[in-house]
Amino acid sequence: MFRKFAAFGGCLTLVLLIAALMPATTLAAAPGAAGALEAPRISVSVWQAALIAFGYYLANSPWLFGLAFFTLYRPLVAGFFVGLILGQPAEGTLIGAAINVPFLGFLSAGGSLPIDPGFAGWVGVTVALAGHLDPAAAVSIALGLGLLGTLIFYGRMAVDSVFAHWADARADKADIAGVALMNWLPGQAFLLVVSFVPVFLFALNGPAYVQDALNRLPLWTVNGLVIAGGVLPALGIAMNMRFIFRGSAIPYFFIGFILMTATHGSISLVVVAAIGLCLAYLHLNFVRRDVPARVETIEEPVAAAAASTVVVGAQAKVSLTRGDIIKSWALWSFFAHANYNYERLQGTGFAHAMTPIIKRLYTTEDEIRAALKRHLVFFNTEPNFGNVVHGTVIAMEEQRANGAPIDDDAINSVKSGLMGPMAGIGDTMSQSTITPILLAIGIGIAGGTASGTAVPTISGATGNPLGAIIYMALISIVIVAIGYTTWMQGYARGRSFVTEILKSGAIDRVLVGAGVLGNMVLGALAATFVVVNLAPTVSIAGAKMNLQAAIIDPLFPGALALGLVLLTWWLLRRRVNPLAILAAYLVISIIAAYPFFGPGQQNSGDYSYQACTSSLLHQYSPCGTPPAATPAPTAAESAVPSAGTSAATSVPSARP
Amino acid sequence: MSLRLVRIDDRLIHGQVVAGWLRAIGGRRIVIVDDATARDEFLREVLTLAAPQGVPVEVYDVAAGAARCIELAAKPEPVIVLARSPRTILGLRQAGVPIEVVDLGGMGAGPGRKRIHKTISVSPGEIRELREIERLGTRVEIQIVVDDRPISFASVVSGE
Repeated sequence: MFRKFAAFGGCLTLVLLIAALMPATTLAAAPGAAGALEAPRISVSVWQAALIAFGYYLANSPWLFGLAFFTLYRPLVAGFFVGLILGQPAEGTLIGAAINVPFLGFLSAGGSLPIDPGFAGWVGVTVALAGHLDPAAAVSIALGLGLLGTLIFYGRMAVDSVFAHWADARADKADIAGVALMNWLPGQAFLLVVSFVPVFLFALNGPAYVQDALNRLPLWTVNGLVIAGGVLPALGIAMNMRFIFRGSAIPYFFIGFILMTATHGSISLVVVAAIGLCLAYLHLNFVRRDVPARVETIEEPVAAAAASTVVVGAQAKVSLTRGDIIKSWALWSFFAHANYNYERLQGTGFAHAMTPIIKRLYTTEDEIRAALKRHLVFFNTEPNFGNVVHGTVIAMEEQRANGAPIDDDAINSVKSGLMGPMAGIGDTMSQSTITPILLAIGIGIAGGTASGTAVPTISGATGNPLGAIIYMALISIVIVAIGYTTWMQGYARGRSFVTEILKSGAIDRVLVGAGVLGNMVLGALAATFVVVNLAPTVSIAGAKMNLQAAIIDPLFPGALALGLVLLTWWLLRRRVNPLAILAAYLVISIIAAYPFFGPGQQNSGDYSYQACTSSLLHQYSPCGTPPAATPAPTAAESAVPSAGTSAATSVPSARP
Repeated sequence: MSLRLVRIDDRLIHGQVVAGWLRAIGGRRIVIVDDATARDEFLREVLTLAAPQGVPVEVYDVAAGAARCIELAAKPEPVIVLARSPRTILGLRQAGVPIEVVDLGGMGAGPGRKRIHKTISVSPGEIRELREIERLGTRVEIQIVVDDRPISFASVVSGE
């Protein structure tokens, strides 16, 4: 962990050092920083910094019915709230959306956290918004912040193990409320400190610091960061493609991409998603008719499983009320990860959720102690689909309390046997299918202007807060509905529900359909957010022409961006480490911004043809008009068309 | 070598395996070797159904698993082998299964177990078994998720 953080930091330092040593046009002459807008910086007040820091704590906390991980933790949503706090919700959402794209392949399973999207979102958007950075430059900086954020997570995972032992001590005293308290109070107190303090300091001082640092750098290195902001989204998209870009779903990715480039980015992601849904229906019913193949054996295992369940009839001594079961579900939804730690993972959360059940079913101190200790052991599953385990265990506890011969081993074997497979299905569904698809739609809406055009790399684009709001609403409804259903069905039908749902083929159908929709949306997103613009000119029949404008865009708009995404996907398939790719892309982007072929930009407002053809890649599109055709345009003239056109797909006005 | 991943993980099939490893290394078949799981019909069924469609899951005890692994190792199809404990892997290794690297992916904490790295805890007996596996020429590495850098087991238990 420290190694990867150090490697990233090292690369960044090296690049900036090289940049500082190279003779280049520095910003000393230019008052406005490149990559930074001309508008004055917002100063972040102490109260605003405190609200932002508390927001980041909430993103890691259990207090939002456990939904924070799916909502506030995502840069898209964080961007909206930081924007609200700083008084610019639209701009905040736009920056959050841009930052979120490289995190589309984010997956946290079994206590591992590759990168912290929450930290990247809350701090990255603050720095970008208050420092008036270009959203694309913010992407590069946010990725570094995301790696920094993992320190908080790993520190918490280690320290929270201690609190699990405090819960053990309470269980020894048969103290039900004490176990519940130990699951949330110490862990959350610790989390509040370690998450609030660093984000507060960053929010208060970060924007000025980052802006000053950027102002000291040569102009072209800052352009390099903006170029990297167009290149790095390819990594997030490719990481997500590892989950869904395969088999007969592959063409849909290209359909999504081409749909977006062919319309010059003028259709909204909602339309792409709607077309995707239609195609998913056709795909399921006419292409992949093999999918529900598991359905035919449905009858027999249900009967077999039901027979193996001990049924305690009307003579039950104690029975659980519906309220107990719902209360248990609510406790789990809130507090499953309140004390997440290396030693037990969700172990104390499971015990906490069982407290209403234990309170109802057991009366003697020995029974209570045994039940608490039974459920304080190592446990980890996906906390929504995995709820079938809890439901089943609750039913078993009820039967046991009524005298059925169910021993500790029987309960433990259901927990330890089912938690893995349900996590496998659950993570595949919730983290690597449902969340990225809904996020992609939200990002698409957020990154659009009123006309539906996404302009992530060009300053001045307006974001749409609806993207964040719609995403939050949809993901919350889906996750809560799944969690409640699996919990209740697990209780009512136990193991037979597990085999039945698995055998019905419903999960496979959802995954295949989601694969179609996901590929469409991901392709469209790649067309919008991945930006590779070649800068050099070539002489054809005596006329100087820009490579991108003259050769690539007329043939296949966005071909380079598509190529980059596919290359990244291929590298990941070859098991190249994503962090190595991240570092390499960052370095290459900055080098590619060096003005090899001319004097480069004279100041940050210089959008002339001379300036934009002097490096290997350039950060804005389209280039100004070639000097041969018309007199060099002023900064104002060429900046205007760039503000309303998709950077990846625009057809320059200067086409021969 | 078509046994692409031989992993000790007490949760067997779960998110890190299905959503991470399986995709990343292109696994086409999962072989689970565990005596207790092989005896439990319900768990066998759940595990078989928990993998994505098109990835068959086979569950064996150590004796049958060794024979099956030797057979699969000679074929080109990429296979993932999962076991719950080092003892099982030692059994496979002693039965002649060609394992180049064994990956410690998830070994939960408990009484008498010492945490050596993140979610990896081992008992003294397991340390002995893992050392024995190393002595038989198989590297023992810790790599919880596919994007982690592998760490050698020897480097985290040295001096014990």
